Amino acid sequence: MKSGSTLEKVLASGNPAVTAELGPPMSADPHEVVKKAQQLKGFCDAANITDCQTAVVRISSIAAAAIAFQQGLEPVMQMTCRDRNRIAMQADLLGAAALGLKNCLCLAGDHQKFSAAGRLKGHPGAKNVYDVDTCQLVGILKKMRDESKQDGGDPIEVAPKFFIGASWTPMADPIDFRPINLMKKVNAGADFIQTQGIYDMEGLRAHMAKIRNMGLHEKTAILAGIIVPKSAMMLKYMDSSVAGVSVPKALIDRMNKAKEAAGDDKKKAKELQEQEGIKITIELIHQALETPGVKGVHIQAIEWESAIEGIVKAAGLYPRPQV
Amino acid sequence: MIVGSQKPIEEIWNMVKDFKKVLVFGCNTCVAICHAGGEKEAETIAALIRMKASQEGKQMTVNHLGVMRHCEPEYFEPVIDEVKKYDLVLSTACGVGVNFLSDRTGTVPVYPGINTSFYGAVEAPGVFKELCAGCGDCIVHMTGGICPVARCAKTLMNGPCGGTNKGKCEISKDVDCAWYLIVERMTKLGTLDKLSAIIPPRNWSTARDGGPRRISMEHIREFEEKEAAKTETAGGKR
Amino acid sequence: MAPEDTCTAEPYRAYGAELKETRPYSPCRAACPAHTDVEAYVGLIAQGKYTEAFEVITSVNPIASVCSMICHHPCEQSCRRCGVDEPLAVRHLKRFAIEKSKDYRRAKRKLVKKTKGKSVGIIGSGPSGLTAARDLADLGYSVTLYEKHPVLGGMLAAAIPPYRLPREVLKEDIDDVISKGVEVKTNFEIGRDAKLDDLAKKHDAVLVAIGLSQSRSLNIPGVDGPGVLLAIPYLEDVAFGRKPDLGKSVLVIGGGNVAMDVARSARRLGVEKVEMVCLENEQEIPAWKWEVDEAVEEAIKINYRWGPKAVVRENGKVVGLEVTKVLSVFDANKRFAPTFDTNTTTVLKAETIIITIGQMSNLAFLKDSPVKVDERGRVEWNPATQMSSAKNVFVAGEVVTGPGSAIAAVANGRRAALAMHLYIQGETIEGRLPAQEKEKIAQMPSEVVEKISKQPRMKIKHLAPEVRVKTMDHFEMGYSEAEALEEAGRCRGCGGGAVVDQKKCMACLTCMRVCPYGAPVVTSVSEIRPEYCQACGLCAPECPAQAISMVSYDVREIRNTLPTIIGKVDADRQEPVIAALMCTHHAKVIGVPNNVKAIPVHCTSRIDILDMLKAFESGADGVAIIRCGSGTCKYRDIEPRVNARVKRVQDLLGMLKIESNRLEILSATSDNGGNPYSAICADFSERVKKLGLRARK
Repeated sequence: MKSGSTLEKVLASGNPAVTAELGPPMSADPHEVVKKAQQLKGFCDAANITDCQTAVVRISSIAAAAIAFQQGLEPVMQMTCRDRNRIAMQADLLGAAALGLKNCLCLAGDHQKFSAAGRLKGHPGAKNVYDVDTCQLVGILKKMRDESKQDGGDPIEVAPKFFIGASWTPMADPIDFRPINLMKKVNAGADFIQTQGIYDMEGLRAHMAKIRNMGLHEKTAILAGIIVPKSAMMLKYMDSSVAGVSVPKALIDRMNKAKEAAGDDKKKAKELQEQEGIKITIELIHQALETPGVKGVHIQAIEWESAIEGIVKAAGLYPRPQV
Repeated sequence: MIVGSQKPIEEIWNMVKDFKKVLVFGCNTCVAICHAGGEKEAETIAALIRMKASQEGKQMTVNHLGVMRHCEPEYFEPVIDEVKKYDLVLSTACGVGVNFLSDRTGTVPVYPGINTSFYGAVEAPGVFKELCAGCGDCIVHMTGGICPVARCAKTLMNGPCGGTNKGKCEISKDVDCAWYLIVERMTKLGTLDKLSAIIPPRNWSTARDGGPRRISMEHIREFEEKEAAKTETAGGKR
Repeated sequence: MAPEDTCTAEPYRAYGAELKETRPYSPCRAACPAHTDVEAYVGLIAQGKYTEAFEVITSVNPIASVCSMICHHPCEQSCRRCGVDEPLAVRHLKRFAIEKSKDYRRAKRKLVKKTKGKSVGIIGSGPSGLTAARDLADLGYSVTLYEKHPVLGGMLAAAIPPYRLPREVLKEDIDDVISKGVEVKTNFEIGRDAKLDDLAKKHDAVLVAIGLSQSRSLNIPGVDGPGVLLAIPYLEDVAFGRKPDLGKSVLVIGGGNVAMDVARSARRLGVEKVEMVCLENEQEIPAWKWEVDEAVEEAIKINYRWGPKAVVRENGKVVGLEVTKVLSVFDANKRFAPTFDTNTTTVLKAETIIITIGQMSNLAFLKDSPVKVDERGRVEWNPATQMSSAKNVFVAGEVVTGPGSAIAAVANGRRAALAMHLYIQGETIEGRLPAQEKEKIAQMPSEVVEKISKQPRMKIKHLAPEVRVKTMDHFEMGYSEAEALEEAGRCRGCGGGAVVDQKKCMACLTCMRVCPYGAPVVTSVSEIRPEYCQACGLCAPECPAQAISMVSYDVREIRNTLPTIIGKVDADRQEPVIAALMCTHHAKVIGVPNNVKAIPVHCTSRIDILDMLKAFESGADGVAIIRCGSGTCKYRDIEPRVNARVKRVQDLLGMLKIESNRLEILSATSDNGGNPYSAICADFSERVKKLGLRARK
């Protein structure tokens, strides 16, 4: 065992892994994190704690992860390259390990201009860091863990033992380079990969064929990202505006149909669409897990953590294996 | 070349309003090419300050001047006495020029008339594009001649992030994704396999992060110093 | 004369004159023997600056009025517009400028201080003599003009018929010269009233400028006797209003310009049947084509390719001229060597025959003088010093150069005056006199010609032939102001275009990118090729280093004169002050409302953003850029750049919280007669008035 995390153990056991996502609040109140942790606990092997996602200031990933951990939920702390240089990163990693955290997902991070895609003010005038990139960060974690050395070469007395993750967007431009992109992260030391949300399962299958040819599925555990759709509008937005995401027309039509079935009743339209979204999610989970080389799913119910329980149960992924 | 852009007149006015004699001093190289701070723009700014002064009822003398470069003393030394007659020099050179001149004007302050933006090229007349960040350790031979330090919003060294959308960067539809271009270019060059190697964390000490930089070319310095010494000795004898 | 009436003459220098000397001349200027800066004065006319145009013209030519009537205008023949459509009507524009400057020139006449304490004598008051007298008087010499006729002017007064040169016009030129304090001795014939030696002793230097005042005759049977006249005595009769008896028909022998004067004046003396006979054919005839055309219009028949053989007389009275058919006039080397078909002869009937086959000088007065005459009867002289074989005797004009034009005699007179000045001051002359041949701008490359829009020459109106032959009066009408402005606008401004200050240029390529004609070539610095440059001025305001200036009417000149033109802005004014920067080519500079200050510019392409700002800075309430309709602009690709500049200024004004619509581009088409720009200026003024008058703290 590299880290001894639950996620690592589940994957080692050959069971399909389930991870979920927990978005920390824009507030100093820990209860939100506690509440969400309680909602997710038991229904996933680990939950990602996002790191100022969409470049919006929230409770830091490490702090929220520590709170979740206290609640009995295994966290996957996230670390973006946007906000920290290699000194801060390594310091935080030592601290996180000292707090008992065992999983870390490395990300480039949304650019500070992103500011929740314009819905919030954010901090577009912030200075970004990008001292190292995702690949390099993965390498640093690996070096700390396996060689007990800081990136600069100084020794670490007690090494932080992280199960190292990285994100991957299989279907973004330049699409032919994406397998190489994955390979570099894997070669750098990524133990597991969480992909960008996938609706186009045929596309995923085609990509996974390439990945299998490269043998990468043996070197790392690939978890397919599933974003729970809430509405037709959300699917349309994701299809048109989110990099690397394409949504098959049939799925959008299904959501539209659900919406139309409610007539003018807005509340009912919301309910019907959410029901359909959960149905779609379950189908996607099955299709993803049937794809050779996929070792699990990463289910993101954005600001809708309460939905996870039902989804995991309906997908037949409950109870989670005790490892 | 160095690319800059003019400051709004309101900002300039707040800088200059308490001075009686102001010289707007243009630089006729990089910032002239990008129509930000050459002699022409210096005269424009001078005219705007005069008009503003007239609106505000302030008595001010505002003149303009231009020399080829502010970053080499030989260019402005012939006019430095004239320059020192002013209460304030508003330099429309890049930040280099402003600093360099400021060290050489005695008690006369030198203020910036433009914002120095980046090192760029003239993509089309009137369009200037950042292509280099002056990091001090060029690696574009590994990236198809396209610099990810200057042209990737996240300075990524090992490939694109997940934000590439139709070849554009996640920060704007108007900004090309550098890594998209790199992959495209290296595919064309047949060198895409080079990108499989991981570029390790960089040593940024060659860049601004390593502190203010200075390059001293000893072979040229030594020669110059010897020549200067010769002239001095010859002068002494006379 | 009170001392305050005297002045020292400062020669007028047009803007850019010094710079022009360092560059190839425009073809028109190079072609002018006196190197009159045509481009400068035509441009000044286009801007409505008529007296300044007058100054440019007269700075090198004191008989400008004369030339404005009779010059053969080599400038027009070499005009680069010839390759596009028709040459510019330079002579006629000159006439317009001079006529507009009549009061100005009269008011300007003043004695020149005789600062040198030396005297010169000038024998002959034709073009070269008058010119030398003017130049030497301006230099501060005491000048005495000796003239054998009762009036000054030489052949201009004594031989050119008044229908070509009105005498009041000649008088203006002469009055300009003599008002400087030139002593005049008329009815003074050298050799008769004084010996050359005496004058050479009396003066520090003497100029012999006696021209060619004797007609050559023909050695053919029957030539002697009544009914056969020589051109010069005949023309003198015409000039002084005597009416020679010509009978009912006249035959003029000769095909030169003087022959035309003879024939055409004979028509005006009431002779119905006037014919000419010449050796040459229609192409070879030496007279200017327009002279031939006008003569034909006046019902003068020209018998080409006949050579005079004998005067036919009956009872001593001339009845005609027997002529022989000419086979050829020139030999293979293009030398004059006529051949005849002696078998083919005919008789051309006429009661009077006037021989006009050339002139010569009467050099009898040089006998026993130190001035040598060569074996062919010509005065020996050194063209490099204008000096004869006697040391203080100088020569100028046709007496030494042979037959030529008035303007060539002016040029030669100027050289002689400078030579005399150098001689008297004890300086070397050789190598100091200006070169006659000047480097000139090459013809326009065809790719440039293609880009130039055609614009026909403004017609010069003449009295109808049947009307004009009834009097000796001048028959050509001057341009109206509108016509002159239109015609002046046709000038391409050759030689007045863009020039790069190589010390400032940093080779940024801006000029190369903006030039519609491909004139700039940028290597280590920009070079703007004058043969390509159309002097539009589009590049200069775009240059970020201000390295480009225009040789004529530079962009900076607009800026420098703006505050003066706008003047002091009255705080209690009722009407807004409008600065109107107008394209002079179509937006006429005449007749705008009083509160509109017109600033003529060569083309709106020359208007810099700094000019617009300067107008506001100088207190203008509104600034109008007045351009021609895009269809009439004589340049290319001007509009988008001017629009962009205006937009930039509007943005800058916005930063100063000045309403952007205080600056507008106005345009109108000038086809509908009158001055449409007056109305659009008035409208704009009203709009600005509604915005309010700008207050200053």
